Amino acid sequence: MSPDNAIADFEAARRRQLRRQWLKSGAGLLIASLLLAAAFHQSQFFTADIGGDPARRILDFLTRLVPDLRGEVLFRGTDTPGSLSAWFYDLPRWLDAIRETVEMAALATVFGAIGATLASFLCARNLMPWAPVRFVVRRALEVIRTLPDLVLALILVAAFGAGPTAGVIALTVSTVGSLGKLFAEINEEVDPRQLEALDAAGAGLLTRIRFGLIPQVLPNYASYSLLRLEGNVAAAGALGIVGAGGIGLELQRAITYTEFSTYLAILLLLVSVIFVIDLTSEAIRHRLILSQDREP
Amino acid sequence: MSVMSAQTRPVTRNWGLVRGILWTALGLAAVVAMIMDLGLSPKGMAAGFGKLGQFLAAMVPPSDGGDFSRILAALIETLAMALAGTCLGVLAAIPLGIIGAKNVVRNPVFHFIYRRGLDIFRGVPALVWALIFVAAFGLGPFGGVLALAAADIPSLSKLFAEALENGDPGPVEGVRAAGVSPLLELRFGLAPQMAPIMASQCLYFLESNFRNAAVLGIVGAGGIGFELEERIRVFAFDQVAFIILLYIVAVSLLDTASAWLRRTLR
Repeated sequence: MSPDNAIADFEAARRRQLRRQWLKSGAGLLIASLLLAAAFHQSQFFTADIGGDPARRILDFLTRLVPDLRGEVLFRGTDTPGSLSAWFYDLPRWLDAIRETVEMAALATVFGAIGATLASFLCARNLMPWAPVRFVVRRALEVIRTLPDLVLALILVAAFGAGPTAGVIALTVSTVGSLGKLFAEINEEVDPRQLEALDAAGAGLLTRIRFGLIPQVLPNYASYSLLRLEGNVAAAGALGIVGAGGIGLELQRAITYTEFSTYLAILLLLVSVIFVIDLTSEAIRHRLILSQDREP
Repeated sequence: MSVMSAQTRPVTRNWGLVRGILWTALGLAAVVAMIMDLGLSPKGMAAGFGKLGQFLAAMVPPSDGGDFSRILAALIETLAMALAGTCLGVLAAIPLGIIGAKNVVRNPVFHFIYRRGLDIFRGVPALVWALIFVAAFGLGPFGGVLALAAADIPSLSKLFAEALENGDPGPVEGVRAAGVSPLLELRFGLAPQMAPIMASQCLYFLESNFRNAAVLGIVGAGGIGFELEERIRVFAFDQVAFIILLYIVAVSLLDTASAWLRRTLR
């Protein structure tokens, strides 16, 4: 074979491969854009009638959203339009609702973590020898994770009536779903030697769990639970919109009166509370991880 | 004998026990206080669970209520909203993420404030955004798509910024050494590193948006949530069960497809 031929062969092979790559990415791009075009068409994003000229509507929305604050009267009382306290005119009531929201999230996290611990023992390979139980519990947790907490809340509000009870139960159920899976993974990574040592010493099941399992898993459990608490506070903020208690009800009320700036005020209040809780929980989680690393 | 063993016990152990009991008592007291404050009563619970039992009994057998095509259309609309919302969110998050990357804008004060600003709005659920967008722009999926995008933008921007920061500068420098234009530097130095990470994150957000989109109909922002709420309101629980089952199937199909795509793109 002459060198010319080898080069020509190489070039041809390279062109073929390039063409194949181009075709592949072109087809991918085409399918993706078709899907997206269908999605935008189906959701009427560009064709929806939003009440006139879009740019004007958005501008209108923003002017109604931003409160009418005036520098010279910023710190006057609630009666002076343009002051901060006129913007946050119902602050005590909102704080009350936010406390309710946080309590709902905290209770749901506690109950959910307890439920998740039980569920995780039932579906960890090294703790539950009976496969059918593991299978059923795992599938159940999967189904729970699929259902959005607000769908659960809708059904629960119909059963328990409007109020925080439905919200706490809905959040508890979805917490069991997400933490149960994580806890089971933690359980399965437990060092078996400590359990075996206790077994060899003749310890019963409860003693084995108490001294062989809990010291190994508790820091991880706590850290995941705190992470979930952060998520639960945010989720609880929306529950009131379907009537399940908390700050969502106040958000809904602000919308009913089309007070967009009030909505913004409540939203800012909510996100700052979430932010503070996130920072606190983050600090605790870092300490938990550190304390765990220090142990041998 | 027992006295002996008590004496030989390390003292620190007892302190740990006391501390443990104290914390447990404190925690229990807090839980009880919160239960009282929220007014969770055993009586209300019992009544509620009784009703819930009736609802569950009414769910069997599930039925489409003779309106299967409408439910399917709502489900497709939900998927369309999730796709469109994710797309908008990603498009907005790319520039926002670039601005937020430490190695793009090097001012540490700006970086800190900007990233904290993103963090603050990370927690707002899509439904909260949907409520106000529907009030502003009218009923229908338009507000829903906006809400999904708004809920994703803070976390997506953060993820993109982090991906940029963790990018390997080696390939970029290599391409630059070849003396090409900055655009080609991005194309051959950075894009091959970023694209798989970003694509897999987009797919995760698509999955989560399909779950979020399912509830937006409650506030009139389109999708399957409206059908669900309507049927719960009239206690048509056989149809509720049908919708939920169909939805679970759709979610697992989407998750499977997305997992397959992620594997293929890697």
